[in-house]
Amino acid sequence: MSLTELLIGLAALVLAPFVGGFLRGVDRRITARMQGRIGPPVRQPFYDFLKLWGKAPSLPNRASLVWVWGYLLLTMVTVFMLFVGQDLLIIFFVLAFAAACLAFGAYSVRSPYAHIGAHRELLQMLSYEPILLLTVVAIFLQTGTFMVSGVLEHGQPLLLTLPLAFVAVLVALGIKLRKSPFDISASEHAHQELVRGVYTEYSGRTLALIELAHWYQLVLILAFVALFWAQPLWAGVLLALGAYFLEFVVDNVTARVRWTWMLSISWGKGVGLVLLNIVLIQFVFSSARV
Amino acid sequence: MSGESLVAVLVLLPVATAAASLAIKDERLRRLLIILPSGALIAASVLLLVQVLENGPLTFTPSGHWDSLILIIELVLLAYFVYVGVVRKHLLVLGLGATQLVLFALFKFAWLPSGFKVQPAFHIDLLAVIMCLVISVTGSLIVMYALNYMQSHERHLKLGATRQHVFFFFLVGFLGAMNGVVFANSLLWFFLFWELTTLCCYHLIRHDLTEEAEQSGLRALWMNLVGGLALVAGMSLAYQASGSLSLLDLTGFGTVAPVMLLPLALFCFAGFTKAAQVPFQSWLLGAMVAPTPVSALLHSSTMVKAGVYLVLRLAPGYEGTYLSAGIAVFGAFVFMITSVLAISQNVSKRVLAYSTISSLGLIICCAGINTGLAIAAAIALIIYHAVVKGVLFLAVGIMEQSIHSRDIEDMEGLVTRLPALAGMAIIGMVVMLFVPFGVLFAKWAALQAAAAAPTVWFSLVVAFLVIGSAAGIVFWVRWIGRLMSHTAAGAGAPEAAPPEAEPRGSLSYLVVAGLLAGGVVLSVLAAPLVSYLINPAGAAMGYSPALDTAGWHLKTSFGFFTPWVLFVVIGAALLLPALLVRVRTEDIRPVYLCGEHQASSAGGPVFTSLGDQAVLLATGGFYWSRVFGERSLNVWVNGAGIALLAALFVGVIV
Repeated sequence: MSLTELLIGLAALVLAPFVGGFLRGVDRRITARMQGRIGPPVRQPFYDFLKLWGKAPSLPNRASLVWVWGYLLLTMVTVFMLFVGQDLLIIFFVLAFAAACLAFGAYSVRSPYAHIGAHRELLQMLSYEPILLLTVVAIFLQTGTFMVSGVLEHGQPLLLTLPLAFVAVLVALGIKLRKSPFDISASEHAHQELVRGVYTEYSGRTLALIELAHWYQLVLILAFVALFWAQPLWAGVLLALGAYFLEFVVDNVTARVRWTWMLSISWGKGVGLVLLNIVLIQFVFSSARV
Repeated sequence: MSGESLVAVLVLLPVATAAASLAIKDERLRRLLIILPSGALIAASVLLLVQVLENGPLTFTPSGHWDSLILIIELVLLAYFVYVGVVRKHLLVLGLGATQLVLFALFKFAWLPSGFKVQPAFHIDLLAVIMCLVISVTGSLIVMYALNYMQSHERHLKLGATRQHVFFFFLVGFLGAMNGVVFANSLLWFFLFWELTTLCCYHLIRHDLTEEAEQSGLRALWMNLVGGLALVAGMSLAYQASGSLSLLDLTGFGTVAPVMLLPLALFCFAGFTKAAQVPFQSWLLGAMVAPTPVSALLHSSTMVKAGVYLVLRLAPGYEGTYLSAGIAVFGAFVFMITSVLAISQNVSKRVLAYSTISSLGLIICCAGINTGLAIAAAIALIIYHAVVKGVLFLAVGIMEQSIHSRDIEDMEGLVTRLPALAGMAIIGMVVMLFVPFGVLFAKWAALQAAAAAPTVWFSLVVAFLVIGSAAGIVFWVRWIGRLMSHTAAGAGAPEAAPPEAEPRGSLSYLVVAGLLAGGVVLSVLAAPLVSYLINPAGAAMGYSPALDTAGWHLKTSFGFFTPWVLFVVIGAALLLPALLVRVRTEDIRPVYLCGEHQASSAGGPVFTSLGDQAVLLATGGFYWSRVFGERSLNVWVNGAGIALLAALFVGVIV
């Protein structure tokens, strides 16, 4: 790891919360407009964060707080690893550990709502993990490397040869960002049987930490999407923002689904699309096979 | 000590110890008699490692009348299987045993020239030594654990006369048979040791002599006899095609003629039955009726590992063939589907059993991918899986004796009831599941190997692998979650565990802790392990080392990570909060129950429900058995397994 890479990684760690929080603000604003409301100012997520941080602590137990810290720190590790150009497989393995920490936090409290949320969180992981890992393999077939640094050096935009895999990543993105129709574990808009799912037992400072972790995660996932058009970089950024906007639209025009449906979409259509794309690469664009 | 005498110690010492433990009825004497040779076994395996590292593979044929002796034992053993079939009135065992006996006798006496000898009888390369280390170290530790376990087991069963001497006879003898399996080069010798493991397995499973135990034992027996039959058929075909019965000739570093593919396929099939791959998974699932040390031994270091060892040992022989691709697809399928089935299980030992079968499927898949990287992944997985699965089974065994249940639902909140034990189990599961630990390193290498595989089937293999590993997350995390779930002090305070609940200094606790520490240390030292053992072992099998470990990185041509850096970073991310976070007692609040709280009762928080009735709070796990359950999936699973095996054989023959 060179000094420049290290500096980029550290800069990403410092800047990611601002970018992530800002994007969340844009999300809330645009969502409000789609629903015919004016919506909060774009700075609102930061206000919320500060307000939550200042609340008097109220916790079910100590373990849940420890796991939330683990969730945040491990997510930060993945962001750092991605921006210094590490192995994509390892990044997603660490991300899985981070996501599991959120579930562990919910499990560590003997609370019915939190447990239902944690179980459903596992189903969400079951749904998006295969798509993400399989897409990494598809990217490998195009670029000959699992390293983010190697993917960045690849001259040709990946989107041109991996369009189907990209569609599948959009599905995974929706699940990972807990957008409708896949908000089954935490329900953005409180549903009766869930209350707030995995978040039920969190309040104040712990909730602020989770929000912070989500900002990091948003940056991570959008950066992964940007890899599909890594050069020039602005094209990748536009692609990521476009994908994010698409998620708002889908979020607002769909209703929450059952988990079986989510699983059949992600395993059937999602994994199926990436597989189809891989087969296409092999037989149609076979010259590109490394 | 010379290499020859070390081999003699490793194979014969367990057998001698076993025979002695059968004769000695005094418990204290037997304890001593088992602990001392266990130490000798571990020392011998380490010495053998040093020898092979220094001098290269050890190849020799012991002098004397061993061939005749082995032939006699072989025939007696096969006749015994027939006898079991007759006495138990089990047609399958009877039929398979008799066919095997007749076929083997025909082969030996009518076909092979008299005085036919396979030179060398033993060929011990690094792969064999790694297996021997796994068997001797993990196996011996499990045997020591069993000393304590069986005492309380028999107390619990209220047996009139102890049957421990029989138990330890087969348990310790097993280790000798396993060492024989991995050392043998002569297929005739290999066959004997292979059948001996079947015998030990049968007797250990039926040890408790209940109806269920008998049935499970017989099922294990007939399924493994299917494998034995495949072995005899494979031997005859191999002899017909090549005139040799030596494993060295059979693998011959990729120069195998197409006629040899069918015997190789039959040998691999025998490996699949022993490794309980679909559709033979039911014998290993049934084996959990046996006392826990048996399950631990079968799952971690012996029996099933003999199956994957055979497939892996033969890998250079079928490199680049249709058979290799077929094995990769089959193994990956088993890896995926058994992980998915494990989601629906709420019995701890069944979850562990499915996860074992799944890991074995991954090892077999790696052997089928058959590149240097894949073989390295397979060997790494054998090592890490043996250690960690040992930990988990032994921990579950102690839990079962403490809470008298093997149901994951009953393990809720064990962190407060049995903190040391639950902690070790949780760490063990984390080692199984998450980066930066060894099992995940093997999975990482396997995924990369599959992605870079030369076969066109790789996309299917990769898809199976990613779905299977996602399913693994679900059942492990949920189980950890059940163990951790508790209410904090203040709100229905959990009674802290009394010190006498956990005899932390006892031999069984020490064994679990020692194995767990071994798994963690081996994970931190993954890079040296690869450079000193795994890479040379692959090279000795004829593969070019694919993992570059310079500077303690683990580097393939396509990606890399540094295990110890990840350890530091992830360890800091999890341990620092655990050490630094402070919570004031007055900030602790009861959990959210829709605002319908009542005061806590002795049993925990209570809330108001229908008809203003007070209801005690309860939580439970989801197992989604309607979707992932055996009832809805088993037909398809077994059907697909049979279809894949059929496709494998049809392709090989045509």
